[in-house]
Amino acid sequence: MNNGVNGDENMDNEENIIEIRNLKKSYDHGKIKALNGLNLDVKKGEFLSIMGPSGSGKSTLLNMIGALDVADEGTIQVAGIDLTKNKKLDEFRSKEIGFVFQMHNLIPNLTVLENVEIPMYETKLSTSQMRERALELLKSVNLEDRKDQIPTKLSGGERQRVAIARALVNHPSIILADEPTGSLDSKTGDKILKLLRNLHSKENVTLVMVTHEPYVGKMADRIVNVLDGKIQN
Amino acid sequence: MSYLKLILKNPFRNKTRGLLAIVGIAIGIMVIVALGMVTGGLKASTTSTLKAGAAEVSVMQTGAGNYGSGRINESRVTDLLNISGVKETAGMLRATNTSTSGSSTTDVSGTSAETGTASTGSSPGSFAGFSVTGMDPDKLSLAGIENIDGALYSNESANEVIIGKTASTNLDKSVGDTINLFGRDFTITGVYETGSFITDAGAFMSLSTLQNLTNNDNQVSNIAVKIDENANATQVGKAIETEYPNELSTTTAASMASRMNSALNTIDTANWAISLLAIIIGGVGVVNTMVMSVFERTREIGVLKAVGWKEKRILGMILGESVVLTLIAAVIGTVLAVIGVVIILSVYFGGTIEPSFAPDIFIRAFIVAFVVGIIGGLYPAYRASQLSPTEALRYE
Repeated sequence: MNNGVNGDENMDNEENIIEIRNLKKSYDHGKIKALNGLNLDVKKGEFLSIMGPSGSGKSTLLNMIGALDVADEGTIQVAGIDLTKNKKLDEFRSKEIGFVFQMHNLIPNLTVLENVEIPMYETKLSTSQMRERALELLKSVNLEDRKDQIPTKLSGGERQRVAIARALVNHPSIILADEPTGSLDSKTGDKILKLLRNLHSKENVTLVMVTHEPYVGKMADRIVNVLDGKIQN
Repeated sequence: MSYLKLILKNPFRNKTRGLLAIVGIAIGIMVIVALGMVTGGLKASTTSTLKAGAAEVSVMQTGAGNYGSGRINESRVTDLLNISGVKETAGMLRATNTSTSGSSTTDVSGTSAETGTASTGSSPGSFAGFSVTGMDPDKLSLAGIENIDGALYSNESANEVIIGKTASTNLDKSVGDTINLFGRDFTITGVYETGSFITDAGAFMSLSTLQNLTNNDNQVSNIAVKIDENANATQVGKAIETEYPNELSTTTAASMASRMNSALNTIDTANWAISLLAIIIGGVGVVNTMVMSVFERTREIGVLKAVGWKEKRILGMILGESVVLTLIAAVIGTVLAVIGVVIILSVYFGGTIEPSFAPDIFIRAFIVAFVVGIIGGLYPAYRASQLSPTEALRYE
């Protein structure tokens, strides 16, 4: 295991999709240092696990990569876009990032299909094209027959599969998964991980996953450990 | 699913809250539409009293309280022709039907203009309060009566009468029917329509007949005066009052109409004030509903931001939901107002006032609803669009 700067020998694509240099982020007027000069490179198409104890800064790091939050210092370049300078972060998220949360975060009054369509509102797709693409994704997570159900009628694993379909719908270059199995039992969790892994290779998408469970982390091509806002060697 | 469909779907996630917000705004809209329909109807009626051909000046006894309560010697009808500017005069006797018994075959059944009691079957006496005017049939144009469906009553015959359209509808009587007035049976020879809700609810018969029936021989209650083309109604009125001081008073049709219109304008102003109040009260209700809705959906808004929704799309969604609520309220409020006004005017006012269905009344209501939706949704929508995605996603 290394800190990722030199990449992994298994990777056939040497291009970095994420480049983070000396990234700093503090909260509560500087009292809490979430990220403290962090450096990280992620290759295109890589499956990376970010591990570390609670409060180590791993979720903050994921939010920075996904442009949900902005850094105080340092540089962060994702999919060729400098997030410290770019102002159109919503557009970046729409095009490049797919999020999978610990809590599936589906919209309760919308059907499974409509939930998967949600990220496509910012694209130029027509309603029928949106529907077609969403159905395609639901098929790949084996939930085509549940498309008209509302999320509350689904099991935890099914909900997370819908969330994965939603994350992939805009053809993102990176999937960011924050404890994707955290709210599932281990058997269901395994299925979700396998699905993520399969889709990662099938869709040729970079997968960055935050977890604190070692056996989950081991599914990845590479694991980095975060402690006190830095990558541990 | 289209963005619009999403906006239409969201306001009913919490059905009770959505409905309560709608009820609040619908009441305001209902009041605006109902007042608009009634005042609009009254206005149309007053303008039609100012019709060409009708008398411009109305003469009555000085000090007479009610319209039609004073008595003037009939000789004044011809005397007034000597006054400069007077073209034509007509004596009118206004009386209220006091008959409490109808003949066995000709019971008047229907609604009285005053009480509005709908009586079916034979109910003699339900007819008291019906306004009858005695007038020379050749002079009816001075009372604004131009079009008669049927024939005029003749001056000689004592048993003929014409009734107004509203009266005809309310009493369910038409040409050829018999009507009992002041204890005597009359044949209806015609039905007239002037557009004035007061005139159309009454009846006209020959002056001498009404004078006989009401013991008012050689007396009239009003004189309708038509003036020369170049004359001024106010000046002619003044000339009459100067000629017969302490005996005759005059009022011009224009001033009557303008007095009525100014009263209606006051109602109109009140209507605007109520509209404003509805905007404020409804707006506060909408703000409350939408703030609660955004508050409950904080996490969801975080997700929308995470999947790349732009601030203006989130803003648009919340604003849209707010407008959906108020526009639904506008539809409900308008429907209730139309039903309510039509029922109240026909049951309690015997159809004497025709409600107005002028488009501007409804346009105004929908503009008010739209504005309430925008104003009420603005703050919650702005708040939602400005939420920090990480904080929103952390929200429990």
